[in-house]
Amino acid sequence: MLSLQSWDGLGPREFVGLEQYSRLMSDRLFWLSLRHNLLWLLGATVVPVVAGLLLALLLARSRMYGRVLFRTVFFLPQVLSSVTVAIIWGWIYNPTFGALNVTLNALGLEFLQQRWLGDKSLVLPSLFIAWSWVHYGFTMVIFIAAIDGIDEIYFDAAKVDGANGWWRFWHIVLPFIRAPLTTVLLITAIAAMQVFDLVFVLTNGGPARASLVIPLLMIDNAFIYSRVGYAAAIAVVLAAIILVFSILFLYLRGVFRDEAA
Amino acid sequence: MLQSALQTGLAGAISLMVVFPLVWIISTSLKSRAEVSRDPLGLPKTWLWSNYPEAWDVGRFGTYFLNSILVVVPVVLGVLLLSLLAAYAFAMFTFRGKNVLFVLFLAGLAIPIGVLVVPLFYQMLALNLVNTLWALILPEIAVSLPFGILLLRSFIGGLPRAIMDAGRIDGCNALQLLWCIVAPLSRPALLSLLIFNFMWSWNQFLLPVVLVQTESARTLPLGLSFFQGRYSSDLPLLMAGATISFIPIVIIYVIFQRQFIKGITAGALK
Repeated sequence: MLSLQSWDGLGPREFVGLEQYSRLMSDRLFWLSLRHNLLWLLGATVVPVVAGLLLALLLARSRMYGRVLFRTVFFLPQVLSSVTVAIIWGWIYNPTFGALNVTLNALGLEFLQQRWLGDKSLVLPSLFIAWSWVHYGFTMVIFIAAIDGIDEIYFDAAKVDGANGWWRFWHIVLPFIRAPLTTVLLITAIAAMQVFDLVFVLTNGGPARASLVIPLLMIDNAFIYSRVGYAAAIAVVLAAIILVFSILFLYLRGVFRDEAA
Repeated sequence: MLQSALQTGLAGAISLMVVFPLVWIISTSLKSRAEVSRDPLGLPKTWLWSNYPEAWDVGRFGTYFLNSILVVVPVVLGVLLLSLLAAYAFAMFTFRGKNVLFVLFLAGLAIPIGVLVVPLFYQMLALNLVNTLWALILPEIAVSLPFGILLLRSFIGGLPRAIMDAGRIDGCNALQLLWCIVAPLSRPALLSLLIFNFMWSWNQFLLPVVLVQTESARTLPLGLSFFQGRYSSDLPLLMAGATISFIPIVIIYVIFQRQFIKGITAGALK
């Protein structure tokens, strides 16, 4: 309802119909943030999911020594608060004392040194790596559980047929993890659309708005520029995007379920 | 044998990516400022423990810790109690409007908190709760309930009916049945839910950023972010503050890691 009004948060509210939405459509900052969010989303559906899957393939169904220990360690970043993660990565990226530039220096690769969070073209990828460092843990444990749950018969049959690892992955593992895969994609995608904490603490959308994302734009409008109705309109658009994704993913999941049955 | 050794080696190398940043943070928190700029990567020559009490005092971590505990305990208890009651009703009884109510709860699962914070702020303002811990407790319970109800409903629905029938024959009413039979049997699911909600509300950042503007009501993540803003040039102090805030959750995680991971998988594969 707020999105149909014009309100500074204190004074009288005024009904303005869809005006906030038409303003949104012509707001350069909105399209910029949306672009950043969609790029983020694209990265988020690939990097943490693939990394989690590879780690799961390493750990699942193996009798290797220390399997539980490794799973515990790999998952650990997921329990840290986002502010802690921001401080960790803020320091890794520190231009003078940060681990990244110091290591590059020690390896004689000074020319690769960058201002990771201060460069307009590097800031989004740098933030995204920090975000992925947290989120692969979730995808990994889901994949481990799914792969561990596959009946041993299939692997025995593959062994008898002399199938190699790649074949086993493609024809046994992948078909069985399709349903959990859609769940993982959906949850990661929703988290990606809502990305706020890391960006807020590390760059606050900077430099020069190169890392501005939709949730940050919304919070700034509501509480810094006192444009509450406008912020509500942004929230509605964000919710709509998330809803469309949810329906799409749930539909895909239904398709996979039917195939499996 | 060789393959297993290779796997272990690979996994060990990858785990360095997690362990190294944390060890590095702790190592920096024990250095002096001069040593950090001279040798940022190495281990501290002398261990400067005094950074910790200093960070604790100037960062007011005592207040933040207390606030976090005062928020997390009622949130976790509230979520456990309310989801258990609602899930019990949804799983065991038929009543008018049951399906409509359940779909409403599920809709709550689809609407993320990022979308809700702006109107939430004005609701809390109208209720005069902004800058109090209630502004963090009540919404956190509300957004956690749908997941809790969903998880517990499917768990309770899977419990053997015969035990409950036996309880009924022995003369239990609905509440006694819940308290004496359903709740103890649901312990694994309740434990997962407890761990989840503890982690979520302990790390919650968006709600306090929006709903708390006074220092006295800051929770640990928000306090840490202000601390970071103020002492970003004093790296050892900042890293001591960061260590203080991540050590408790890491210890709890390591103790309960099985339940953490079981809870996550149970929640997502349902």
